[in-house]
Amino acid sequence: MTRGAAQGMVSPAALRPAGASRREATAFIGMVVFLASWTMLFASLFFAYGLVRTHATAWPPADQPRLPRLLPGLNTLVAVGASLALERAGRTWRDVASHATAGWLALATVLGAAFLALQASVWRSLWGEGLRLDGGPYPSAFYALTGLHAAHVLVGLVALGALTWRAWRPAGEALERTPLRLWTMYWHFVGAVWLILYVAVYLA
Amino acid sequence: MITAAELKAAEASQPIHAEPTSFWRKYVFSIDHKMIGRQFLWAGLIFLLLGGTLAMMIRWQWAFPGRKVPLLGDLFLHRTGGVIGPAEYQQLFTAHGLIMVFFAVTPVLIGAFGNFLIPLQIGARDMAFPKLNMYSFWAFALSQVLVLASFFVTLGTGGAGWTTYPPLSTSIGTPGSGQSLMVLAIFVTGVGSTMGAVNYVTTIIRLRAPGMTYLRLPLTMWGIWLTAILNALFVPVLGSAGLLLLFDRDFGTQFFIAGAAGVRGGGDPIVFQHLFWIFGHPEVYILILPAWGIVGDVLSFFARKPHHWYKGSVGAMVAVTVLSALVYGHHMFQTGMSPLLGEGFMFFTLIISVPSMIIVMNQVFTLWQGSIRFVTPMLFALGTVIVFGVGGLTGLFLGDISMDLYLHDTMFVVGHFHFTMAAGSVLGAMTGIYFWFPKMFGKQLDERLGKIHFWFTSLGLTAVFGGQLLVGWAGQQRRLYDPYQYTFIQGLHGLNTWTSMFAFTLFAGQMVFIYNFFKTIFFTAPTNVQNPWGIPTLEWTDAASPPAYHNFDRIPGVLRGPHHLSDPRVEERLERDFLGQAEPGPEGATSAVEPA
Amino acid sequence: MTGRRLLAALGALAAATAHAAPLPEKGFGLPLDVSRDGHHIDSLLWFTLAAIVAIYLVVLGGMAWTFLRHGRTHRAAFSGGSRRSIGLLVGSIAVIALAVDGHLFVATMRDMNEVFWNFAEVDQRPDVVRIEVNAHQWAWVARYAGPDGRFGTEDDVITTNDIRVPVGQPVLIQLASTDVIHSFYLPNLRVKRDAVPGMINGLWFQAEQAGQYEIACAQHCGPNHYKMRGVLTVLSREAYQQWLREFSEVAVRGYDPDDQEAHWGWPWRSL
Repeated sequence: MTRGAAQGMVSPAALRPAGASRREATAFIGMVVFLASWTMLFASLFFAYGLVRTHATAWPPADQPRLPRLLPGLNTLVAVGASLALERAGRTWRDVASHATAGWLALATVLGAAFLALQASVWRSLWGEGLRLDGGPYPSAFYALTGLHAAHVLVGLVALGALTWRAWRPAGEALERTPLRLWTMYWHFVGAVWLILYVAVYLA
Repeated sequence: MITAAELKAAEASQPIHAEPTSFWRKYVFSIDHKMIGRQFLWAGLIFLLLGGTLAMMIRWQWAFPGRKVPLLGDLFLHRTGGVIGPAEYQQLFTAHGLIMVFFAVTPVLIGAFGNFLIPLQIGARDMAFPKLNMYSFWAFALSQVLVLASFFVTLGTGGAGWTTYPPLSTSIGTPGSGQSLMVLAIFVTGVGSTMGAVNYVTTIIRLRAPGMTYLRLPLTMWGIWLTAILNALFVPVLGSAGLLLLFDRDFGTQFFIAGAAGVRGGGDPIVFQHLFWIFGHPEVYILILPAWGIVGDVLSFFARKPHHWYKGSVGAMVAVTVLSALVYGHHMFQTGMSPLLGEGFMFFTLIISVPSMIIVMNQVFTLWQGSIRFVTPMLFALGTVIVFGVGGLTGLFLGDISMDLYLHDTMFVVGHFHFTMAAGSVLGAMTGIYFWFPKMFGKQLDERLGKIHFWFTSLGLTAVFGGQLLVGWAGQQRRLYDPYQYTFIQGLHGLNTWTSMFAFTLFAGQMVFIYNFFKTIFFTAPTNVQNPWGIPTLEWTDAASPPAYHNFDRIPGVLRGPHHLSDPRVEERLERDFLGQAEPGPEGATSAVEPA
Repeated sequence: MTGRRLLAALGALAAATAHAAPLPEKGFGLPLDVSRDGHHIDSLLWFTLAAIVAIYLVVLGGMAWTFLRHGRTHRAAFSGGSRRSIGLLVGSIAVIALAVDGHLFVATMRDMNEVFWNFAEVDQRPDVVRIEVNAHQWAWVARYAGPDGRFGTEDDVITTNDIRVPVGQPVLIQLASTDVIHSFYLPNLRVKRDAVPGMINGLWFQAEQAGQYEIACAQHCGPNHYKMRGVLTVLSREAYQQWLREFSEVAVRGYDPDDQEAHWGWPWRSL
C-alpha cells in the first residue's frame, strides 16, 4: 500500500494498536536512563583524561607525534552527516517505513562505516609514526578514548545495518517506529561524544 | 478520582500472558520478575555465605596466627600447607570485601527485593522490560563465575584490597590473571547493574497503577528507586576506572602507573581514586537506601502506626541521593589534596549527616505511641536502626579532616563501615527476607528460630565490629597480616582474639537461619495465607501468597498512602486496624495521612 | 679513634636501635602523644566521642521507653507526625548539626590552616629539620641534607627504617614513593600522609619528648605491608647534631657517584 493511499483512508494514530504509544513512551524513558549511564561512562573517561593531562609536564611529550586535525575533522562532518540522514529517515517514516526511509537509513549506514574506516586510517598512520600503547599517558589516553568511542560506533553501525535491511523489505512493515527512534537517539549520543572528543583530544 | 477509563487503559497496556510451562522457561531463563527476584536471592545468599567464610578465615589468622585452618586449610591452602601466609591473607580481605559488596548485599537488597517487589508494590504485572531483566540476572551470574574463576588461576585472586588502588593493583604490584579476572568480574556485574537500573527506574516512572502517585509509594519503593538512579549514574564511573585499570594491566597503557615504572612521567594513581570514590561513595548509599526504605515501612507496619513525617523521609532520601557524589573526597583526605578542596569535601560530608539523621529519627519517632509487635521482621528492623546508629555516628569522626589524620586507614574505619554497611544492610536484608518470605514462598519462616537468629546476629555483629572500633581507636591499622609486629599494637592482642571468638559465634548463629530457610522452603507445607501480617500495601492486599504469574487479576486503583494503620474510623467499620491502599474506605479515609 | 672503629661502633648502635622496641602501649585508648600539636586532634576526638555517646544514649533511652510502654497492649495513635513532633525532630537535629558538626568544622578549618597544612610557614622557621622520605616495598628510606643544606649531594645522610629528629624542633618531611602507594604514619605524633608515586607530599610535626616511637605503614602495599616498620628516635638537640655530623662524615667517605639507585633524592620543593 503506498503512502498516498494510506493517508486517504484512516488517520495514522488509529492504525496503531492501543498502548503502542504508551510502550513507546516507556521505551523512550528507558533509553534516556540508558544514555544517562553511558554519558557518565564517557564523562568519567574525559575527567580522567583531563586529570592525567594536567598532571603531565608536556602534552604531547616532545618526542611523540602530534595528532592530525584534518582527517578527524572530516570524520566530524561524516558523523554529523550520518546523524542528519538518520533524522531524515525518521521524518519520512509515516505509518510504515517508506522507500525514502530505507534510502536515508542506507546513507547513514554507509557514512557510519566511512567514519570507522577514517578512524582506522588515522590509527594506522599514527601507529606507523611510532605512537604505541606503551608510550606513556599520552598514547594511552588517545587510543583508549578513540578506541572506546569507535567500539560504540561499531555497535550503532551494526544496528543501523539491521534497521536498513528491515526497511528495505516489502512495504517496510517490518521496521517499527520505536527501534528507529531509539537507535537514532543512540547514534546522536555517539555523535555528541565524538564532538567533545574531537575538541578535547584532537584540537586541544 | 480514578476513572474507569484509566483502569481500563492500564489493563489494556499490561495484558495477561499465560505462564510458561517448560522447565527452562519457568525456572532458568524466566522473564517473570518474581522468579528473577528469587534467582537473585539464592545467588546472593550463597555468596553471602562465601564472603562470611572468608571473614572467618581473616579472624582465624588474628586469633591463631600461623596455625593451620581447619577443613578449609586442606581444601584451599595447599601451597602453604593449610596455613594462611601474607600473600593469602591479602587475597582473603580483598575477596571478602568485593564479594560482600557486589556479590552478596547488592543481589539480595537490590536484585532480589527490587525485582520481586517493584511491580507488586506499584500495581503492575511485570517490569517495563522483562527480557532485559532476564539478561541482567545472567550477566550477574556470569560475573559470579568470573569471581570464582579468579581463585583458581596460578597466583590466585587479586590481593590489592577491595579498593583496588593502583599502582598496587596494576601488573607491577599484582601480577597474574587473578586480579584482572576480578576487575573483569566487577565490570560485568556493573553491566548487569546498569541493565537492572534501567528497568527499575523506568518501571517506577511508567508502570505505577492509576492513583499511585509518587507520594503514595511505600518507602521501600523510594529506597529502591533512588538506589537505581544512583546505580545508573555511578556504576559506569566504576566501569571506566575498571576499564582503564584493565588497559594498564593488560595493554601496557599508563593511566595509573607512576614512579619508577612510569614512562615519560607516567600517569597518576590518584586519578583512579577519584574515579573509584565518585562511584564508591554513592555505592554506600546504594547499599543503605533500600534498607532504609524497607525498615521505614516495616517499623510502621509493626508499630501499627503511620510512618512519622513520610514526606520528610522521602525528602531526606532524595537529599542524600543528590549529595552522595559531592562528599567522595573524604576517602582521600590523606592523599595530599589541597586543603581547600579537602575542606569543601568535609563541608558536604557534614551536611549529608543532616538528612541521614532525619531518616533515622523519623524511624524512631514512628515507634512512639505505637502498638509494637515484636515479631522477627520487626526485631531485625529495630536492630538495623540501632546498629546503623553506631555506624552513622562514627562517621562523624572520619568526615573531619583533623580526626581523620589519626583515624585514616585504621580499624576504626573498618568498624565504621561494617556497622553501617554490614550491619545496616545485612540486618535490613534479613528484615526483608523474614517479612516477605510468606509472599515469596507461601509460608512463614519459623518464628522461634528467627528470634534466635536475630539475637545471635545483632549481638554478634555489635561485638565484632565494636571490637574493630576499639582497636582502631588505639591506632591499629587496616589490612595487617600480623598486627603484633608493631609494639604499639601488642597490648591489643587479647581484644583482637576475643573479637575473633565473637566472630566465630556470629557465623555459627547463621546456621540457624540456613536451617530455617531450607527447612521452610523444602520441607514445610505452604499455608498460602494472603496477608498474614495485616499490611496495607498492594502486594499484600491485592496479590496472593505467592502471587499468580500475572500478579493482579485486576490492576488496582490506588486511593491512599501505604501506611494507613490504626485509623479509629476503619476499626469501627471494618474491625481491623489497617486499610489497604486500593481499598474503598469509610467516608473521610481516602487521602494520605496529613500531619494533625 | 680510627675510621673503621668508628664505623663499627656506629654500625652496632644502628643495629641495636633499628630493632629496638618502643614501650608497648597498654591496650585500648589512644597511644601516647608526644607531639606539640596532637592535642588538637585528641581534644576533637574526645569531644566527638562525648557528643555521640550522649546522643546515642538519649535516643536509645527513648526507644527503650517506647518498647516498654507502647507494646502490643498500647493503643496506637493514628498520626503520621504533628507539627510539634516534626518541629522537635527538626529542631534537635539542627541543634546537633550546629553544635557538633559546626564545632568540628570551625575547629578543623583552624587546625588545617594554622597547624597541619602550613608547610610554607614551617619551612621558614630557623630551626626546622628537613627530611626526604622515600617509601618503597617494604622499607622507609630517609635522606638528610647534611651540613651543606642541599639534598642530592655527597654529604647526605641516608638511613633505612631509622629516622632521628631533635626534640623541640619542627620536622618537615617530604614524602615520595617509587612503586606503590604507602602511608607514613606516626601513631605517637598523630601524623599520617600518603606516599604516592609521582607526587611529593608534605607533612610536619614537632616532638616534645625524647624517646623511641614507631613508624608504621598505613596503606596496603603488598604482602609485607604488615612488616613495614621503622623507628623514630627523638634525641636531644646536641645528640642529634652529633649524630648528623658523624653520619655525614661516613656518608662522604662512602660516596659512590656511579650508584644511581642511591641518588633518589630531589631538590627540596616549596609546598
